[in-house]
Amino acid sequence: MVRSPAAPFLIAEGVAKAFGGAQALSDVSLAMAPGEVHGLVGANGAGKSTLIRILAGLVTPDRGRIRLDGEDITVSSPQHATALGMSFIHQELAFIPGMTVLQNIMLGVPKATRFGMIDWGRIAREVEPVARRVGITAPLSSNVKGLSTAENWLINICRALVRKARLIVMDEPTASLSASESRKLFAIVEDLARSGVAVLYVSHRLDEILRLCDRVTVFRDGRSVAGFARAELSHAGLVEAIVGGAVRRTTKPAEPPPQGVVALKVSNLARRPKVEGVSFDLHHGEVLGIGGLVGAGRSELARLIYGADAPDTGTMELDGAPYAPHRPADAVAAGLGLVPEERRADGLVLTKSVAFNLTIPNLAKIVHSPLLPLIDDRRRSALAEQTVRDLAIKTTGIEAPVGRLSGGNQQKVVIGRWLIRAPKVLILDEPTRGVDIGARGEIHRLIRDLAAEGVAVLVISSEPDEQPDLCDRVLVMVEGRIVRELKGAELTRQAIIEASYARAAAAEETPS
Amino acid sequence: MTAPAARRRLSPRAKAALGIFARYATIVGLVAMIVAFSLVSPRAFPTLNNFTNVLNQASLTMIIAAGLTLAVIVGELDLSIGFAASLHGILVTGLIVSNQLPIPVAVAIVLVAGAVIGLINGLIVTKIKVNSVIATLGVGTILTGLAFAYSAGVPIVSGVPEDFLQLSLGRWLFGIPNNILIMVVVLGGLWTLVERTAIGQEIQAVGGNPSAARLAGIDTDRIKILGFVISGVCAALTGILLASRLGSGTASAADGYLLTAFAAVFLGSATLRDGEFHVLGTLIGALIIAFGFNGLNIFGAPTFSQYVLQGAILIVAVGLSSLGRSISES
Ligand SMILES: Nc1ncnc2c1ncn2[C@@H]1O[C@H](COP(=O)(O)OP(=O)(O)OP(=O)(O)O)[C@@H](O)[C@H]1O
Ligand SMILES: [Mg+2]
Repeated sequence: MVRSPAAPFLIAEGVAKAFGGAQALSDVSLAMAPGEVHGLVGANGAGKSTLIRILAGLVTPDRGRIRLDGEDITVSSPQHATALGMSFIHQELAFIPGMTVLQNIMLGVPKATRFGMIDWGRIAREVEPVARRVGITAPLSSNVKGLSTAENWLINICRALVRKARLIVMDEPTASLSASESRKLFAIVEDLARSGVAVLYVSHRLDEILRLCDRVTVFRDGRSVAGFARAELSHAGLVEAIVGGAVRRTTKPAEPPPQGVVALKVSNLARRPKVEGVSFDLHHGEVLGIGGLVGAGRSELARLIYGADAPDTGTMELDGAPYAPHRPADAVAAGLGLVPEERRADGLVLTKSVAFNLTIPNLAKIVHSPLLPLIDDRRRSALAEQTVRDLAIKTTGIEAPVGRLSGGNQQKVVIGRWLIRAPKVLILDEPTRGVDIGARGEIHRLIRDLAAEGVAVLVISSEPDEQPDLCDRVLVMVEGRIVRELKGAELTRQAIIEASYARAAAAEETPS
Repeated sequence: MTAPAARRRLSPRAKAALGIFARYATIVGLVAMIVAFSLVSPRAFPTLNNFTNVLNQASLTMIIAAGLTLAVIVGELDLSIGFAASLHGILVTGLIVSNQLPIPVAVAIVLVAGAVIGLINGLIVTKIKVNSVIATLGVGTILTGLAFAYSAGVPIVSGVPEDFLQLSLGRWLFGIPNNILIMVVVLGGLWTLVERTAIGQEIQAVGGNPSAARLAGIDTDRIKILGFVISGVCAALTGILLASRLGSGTASAADGYLLTAFAAVFLGSATLRDGEFHVLGTLIGALIIAFGFNGLNIFGAPTFSQYVLQGAILIVAVGLSSLGRSISES
């Protein structure tokens, strides 16, 4: 789709920002034209979210200027940003759970009143068509609590439209969306651009960037290092600009390793309606993928194996012995580890330091002795420093609060805590969500190294390319059941996708 | 995003300044108060005798508040502590006077009783999943009933042996009052537990994000129960020392400690750390309250003003604490 280029209305130039000792932005520039979809890419911690937070009035820049319609502006607050016609959908969504869809859409928007009372009836009539346009199917009066991440995104987009935003900024929108939800989002983005709205689109998924964006700006270490027009865009060129060199591909052994001993045997495990009886063997030294669509019951299966939920039926064996965890502590004691899907909600204590978060399941390693369980600061620092180095976690230090790290670096902390432990079985739920392309390769390599040492690894992923690159074998789950096993030559992106939709398609053809 | 609009409009610089203010406000307040009282009343206030006295009095508050700190760190409230301490005061005097038990045995039994009450609180909250405010308020009310039943509403005053009074009134080590020594040991122990041990890290993790702590392999129920048990034992210790100081076991004698302990804990959470509960903070919070009341006493302020101050301190404390938290989150 070729759109006519227009003159930029928003220009940021030479913007710099330091947080304490950390130079988040050194010198970045960005120009946005009406009706363009502008991609913003860069490694974890490159400063993308920081620039966005500056535009949103959440952070004040140290240097640089921002011009809107040719006039210098200082965005002093989120309200000011809204008044200037900018709308933001941040990386970590915030909602007010007790409120309705309509109330959330109208959050911070001046509302029509009648006799001094908010006229919700009239507002609903006005918002309704906008909501339908972006694809919100839930009634406006329903509570947002039960809604999916995708629907939350739609609410945010709807809010931006109601505010008549000229610029909508989306920070990693597809990170928690399914493939079909993502496709809907792309259609909405294209629709927005056609109507003259500018969209600033941040993502680590380069295929999306290639497909959607009219222009792309690349950040590296707090500087804008490259800009591409649509015609100049290529996957290789983007990767090169993002990491400043070539990326090592995943080193999956060409020949699948001879199957080791069974580490975890799962028999007929069920927790209805999400998991409907699942059986499989996971071997030592193997990276086993669980493929399928978001909502197929994969995370729920992981929680059952990990003792976070209780199964209705089914049994498990770990290294030949019966294994029935009542709580995650039992699973961890037995030698399991889990990298949960929602790192901020379920993975990290955000106000605590990197070292704290890395050492939580590894406290036995940092105390003086089992009899004197006092923390040995030297061991604690050594262990944390080592992990930060091994995983190339970008942080000002091991005592920095983990909540201040960029999204991808937070993910590395969650993974790092289990690498320290070297568990028997490691379950990773969306291990590279929000992780940049360089770090993604690193994480894949770490996973392969663990497997080479004999760890049994289970990887849940919704990114179509991830499992063929990484896994020896993939089980595709549909509606709580395993429908297909793929390995060797048949293990391809296409095969996973086809199997993921198989059951759903069959069900549609033969309505019961 | 739930922060009120007024706070969101602050510039980042103002926010940083406010953060520093919130962190050190309590300490500055404490020092300012001591200086002010010393200037106004140079003869009565800034004496070693008075300071020892204040610390001695405050020791009981500090012990019960430090216990409460453990409960709030793991993310729960314990409203039973004041009522529990009253019951324990009656219980310990009763065991000594009526049952003729040796003092150490009576004290040990009551400390165990405190642990059991904490255990019950913890089990109700973690296993039956009753909100801790309701659970501990219910348990506390039941304990008040038990206290009246045990003492038949009449304070136990006669026959309390001198040795038991000496527990609280005695001095040891360079003539430092026992209360202060016990307080130092208890707070030092709890500080070490929370800040320096493996289990302390787990306690902090459970308080910081229970869901993440659970998935990282921590038995969150066990840690929460531990928080309640420590709170219960500290309440028992305060009850025992109060009975020793008063020389009697009186129903509802220690009820007032509940509010003071909460004020100390919340003042403390606003100290040095952004709205995080910690033992050292609680100590400072309790000092502020103690010196505040001491000053009022020296100036002969009427009784009602003490209630006003108590309420005001509680509100200011919780306000500062949540201000600190919202700053650290933004
Ligand atoms: N409030 C803060 N205090 C201290 N450092 C911060 C703060 N916010 C961001 N940083 C640091 O600034 C750098 C840039 O972070 P930013 O979130 O902008 O990266 P990003 O490009 O969005 O990365 P990701 O792709 O992982 O989301 C990081 O190193 C981060 O640790
Ligand atoms: Mg980011």
